Amino acid sequence: MTTTTALTAPERPTAQRTGRLHGLTWTLLRVHRSALWFWILYLAVTAGVILWTYGPGADSALAELTRLGCRDGDPNLGCDTGSSRVSRWDTGMALGSTLITVAPLLIAAWAGGALIGRELENGTAQLAWTQSVSPARWLAAKLAVPAVLIITGTLLLTVLHRMLWTSHLELARWYGSWSWYDSQIFEANGTLATAYALLGLALGVLAGMVARHSLAGLGVGAVAIGIVVQQFQSLRPHLWPAETRKGTGDLGMTVGTGSYTSTGARLPGLLCGDRAACVARNDVAGVYRDYHAASHFWPLQLMETGLVLALVAAATATAFWLLRRRTA
Amino acid sequence: MTDTAMEAAGLGKRFGRRKGWALRACTFRLPAGRVCAVVGPNGAGKSTLLAHAAGLLRPTEGTLTVLGTSPAAARERMAYVAQDKPLHPQLTVEDTLRLGRELNPRRWDAAVAERVVADGALDPDVKIHALSGGQRTRVALALALGKRPELLLLDEPMADLDPLARHELMGTLMADAAENGTTVVMSSHVVAELEGSCDHVLLVGAGQVRLAGPLDDLLAAHTLITGPAADLDDHTVIESRTTGRQTTALIRPGGRLTGTWRSTTPTLEELVLAHLRSPEAPPLHLDDTVEAAV
Repeated sequence: MTTTTALTAPERPTAQRTGRLHGLTWTLLRVHRSALWFWILYLAVTAGVILWTYGPGADSALAELTRLGCRDGDPNLGCDTGSSRVSRWDTGMALGSTLITVAPLLIAAWAGGALIGRELENGTAQLAWTQSVSPARWLAAKLAVPAVLIITGTLLLTVLHRMLWTSHLELARWYGSWSWYDSQIFEANGTLATAYALLGLALGVLAGMVARHSLAGLGVGAVAIGIVVQQFQSLRPHLWPAETRKGTGDLGMTVGTGSYTSTGARLPGLLCGDRAACVARNDVAGVYRDYHAASHFWPLQLMETGLVLALVAAATATAFWLLRRRTA
Repeated sequence: MTDTAMEAAGLGKRFGRRKGWALRACTFRLPAGRVCAVVGPNGAGKSTLLAHAAGLLRPTEGTLTVLGTSPAAARERMAYVAQDKPLHPQLTVEDTLRLGRELNPRRWDAAVAERVVADGALDPDVKIHALSGGQRTRVALALALGKRPELLLLDEPMADLDPLARHELMGTLMADAAENGTTVVMSSHVVAELEGSCDHVLLVGAGQVRLAGPLDDLLAAHTLITGPAADLDDHTVIESRTTGRQTTALIRPGGRLTGTWRSTTPTLEELVLAHLRSPEAPPLHLDDTVEAAV
């Protein structure tokens, strides 16, 4: 740049009036003010659900279980049918983690539609680029400002959700319908909630850049994050070496099961119609199960988080590359 | 400071491999301080040319320099108003001007922008989506002028305005440009809209520069003649029509006119229309670029 220019305007009192936000940050928050309010509301509702489940919801469920005599150590068939308060607690558990895991989808749809697609469609992106702001800085702000809000929000929800999950293990184990390795619980309890939310932003931005249209950007962004999350969920058990146990029983996240022969060879796909004959013919000695115990939570969580963040970086780089190729 | 506001050398743009060239081999030079009209029919490439100057598009071939540097490096020193006047519909007029200040922190002159808005008696608290086409154009122009640009690029600025609003805004614009020595480049397919306010012309047709140069020089280089049909081989005939024994022609005189011709200087509109009706007429550059580029 050659301009140092004498055209600096005199200080005006209005410049101080609206606090600390300036430049692109102010512009972004002003233009997307309704999205900001929606995010704050979303965080408040989700935190509210989690805190209710953690506090009053759990207290009332435990009180009812005590009243029904389910917590005195004696077997009691009546406890298996559950109660309305326990099922309400269980619903709270479901709702909290669902809201956390749905956020990436909403973020991707918003980023592809409103954040990028609409601005490229109606020319307000070009309006920004013909102020004193380069397209690259514009895109950087579009990623950075929402990223800060997303990271802050999802980390807060993750901390709350972990607090909820770890504090009522008795309820969760005996009366809840959730396990640590269920997708939504697994994602809500660790770094993945934040990583997927960031991936939603990155894929949404990329979708908006490709589609250059609000509705198409919204659709492509949402579908893209949906597909990627689904792929990761089926890849998840293979991201860390599994343990093997002979025999059956619920041990944790299952990677694979099958039969093995007397020599120890595995027959993972064995299907037996006539069981006795089939077992004899194939020399089946027993069944095995590859699984992840709860102690594998963090290795699995961090491996997947790393891969997701690598994808975030790739999508972001592609978006910048596209922008650079198109504009001067 | 450079005395060239914009200069193109062999500029070409193709959108996608399969489509044709939107611009091809465009070469011209626009001196600083001029009010330049970019004229041509719809789809001739006027908007594409202005978008390149504004740094919004990357040329497929050739170069375009603006204020002595690349459009990207001159971003801060020029303003651009796109044809459909994009503004954020959910923002108020006041917030839109604030956006101008926030995104141009080193150049913004709030007084200028606020005056342009106030001249149109616009309520600063009204939202953009509630404005009429003319009011919206006024806000877009306020945003552009508030930046105190050295080069102002306007794509069909007056297209959707009624004659009164057009007259008012053109007055605002020209007064401001004259006061600050701003170079203005304004495109239009309505030639009459620009006559009287521009002193430089760039005629674009089918993606190519057909005429480029100071308005007076271009007009002086052409003659509109009427008379009995006769031989015009010594001259470059742009367009010629014969009705009975009477011929009307627009020519670039190549020597002394012989015969009983009545000759007049054409208007800008006549000049433009004749060239558009005759796509095979040779281009004319009176802006000292042809030698450099060939």
